[in-house]
Amino acid sequence: MRKNGSSKQRTIVAAAALSALLAATPSVAGSRILGTGAVSAIEGAAGGGLSPWAVLSSTASDDEIGVTAAATRAWVDDYQLTVTGASVNLHDRMEFSIARQTFELSTLGGELEQDIYGAKVRLFGDVLYHPLVVWSAGVMHQRLVDGTVPTALGADDVNGTDAYLSASKLLFNAFLGRNVLLNATLRNTSANQGGLLGFGGDQGGHAWMAEGSVGVFVTPNWVVGTEYRQKPDNLSAADEEDWQSVYSAYFFNKHVSLTGAWLDFGDIAGLPPQRGGYLSLQAAF
Amino acid sequence: MGLLNTTLKSTSRSLLMASAFIGTLLLTGCAQHHQHATLYERIGGQPTIEAVVENLLYRIADDEEIVSYFANSNIDLLAASLASQLCDVSDGPCQYEGPPMDRAHQTMGITDAHFNRVVEYLDAAMVEEGVPLAARNDMLGRLAPMYKDVMRLQ
Repeated sequence: MRKNGSSKQRTIVAAAALSALLAATPSVAGSRILGTGAVSAIEGAAGGGLSPWAVLSSTASDDEIGVTAAATRAWVDDYQLTVTGASVNLHDRMEFSIARQTFELSTLGGELEQDIYGAKVRLFGDVLYHPLVVWSAGVMHQRLVDGTVPTALGADDVNGTDAYLSASKLLFNAFLGRNVLLNATLRNTSANQGGLLGFGGDQGGHAWMAEGSVGVFVTPNWVVGTEYRQKPDNLSAADEEDWQSVYSAYFFNKHVSLTGAWLDFGDIAGLPPQRGGYLSLQAAF
Repeated sequence: MGLLNTTLKSTSRSLLMASAFIGTLLLTGCAQHHQHATLYERIGGQPTIEAVVENLLYRIADDEEIVSYFANSNIDLLAASLASQLCDVSDGPCQYEGPPMDRAHQTMGITDAHFNRVVEYLDAAMVEEGVPLAARNDMLGRLAPMYKDVMRLQ
């Protein structure tokens, strides 16, 4: 009874906070243009969902600070991924992020959890104004909470660190009068299934992987696109395939965005192609 | 064979989604997009440009921080200069003869935040004066490279 009451109270507080954000005037937001903070990738950094992008989270500009929080859930055939994350953007120069991933093994039973600490620096450029686009570099340190299952599958490590270089560019009026957002990321990683199955294995360790996305801003608030993430295949006991998505992200204003996607994760831990849906709600200040 | 079938099915589904999406864009895009017309014409010519400039200046006037940069400006001259520049960059029958962008803004202490705010005011002004989305995107795309010049002598 008491539990019901408190969860109801939480729902009301959350709804009130959300409606306050939806009604908030843009003057309290950062000054960068709507949508240029992207959404929160599943590893916590600003990006497109599967991949970090070169833009920094929120709409904070050179003399501003932005804070972003996101809750994400992905449902595929035999698994469910839940991510809660937050990031801070300092003067549109540095981004620090933290994320907790919970990967529920709906069919196999049990769950895997990891924490991801990220830092990204904008090297130079701007996604809108700079002819040489915006370039950022970042690292993500991942720590599995319990490495028993990944180790049993043959993973070398239960912790790992990714490093990446990313470039993003908005092309104005590029497709039927609409603006088109391009992103390319090169990631050095040893993570199996993004780290949920540990790091490295009998078939390999650190390697460079390519990730990319293209999106069309149908309106200034609404971007529709697709994303691709190349994956390593380090474990002979658990074939791993590249990830892809088709996404739609709606920016209600500079504070609130909702992303929906269709996912194809390929084989995961011996189970056949994992496809499903993805929803992510983001709030930025 | 089963794998081939699955691949074909997923490919045809992706193709279907993509073509449905492109079809929607084509339908909405064609109404606004005329390849042969200049941006100047698609915006609505000189009357719309002048209305956009006036609308923009009212928005700037309401922003205490931005308007302070224009404290010593002759507003009529500024309006005429802005209009001739928008006309020029949109391939209209004008020649912008004002000062170059770096000289016009030198040592004003303009930050990215200021720059972004004026971009938002311009876009909002175009929306309010009925400029279609494709023409707005085109105009913003032609103005975006000026960032480099505006910020050069800050």
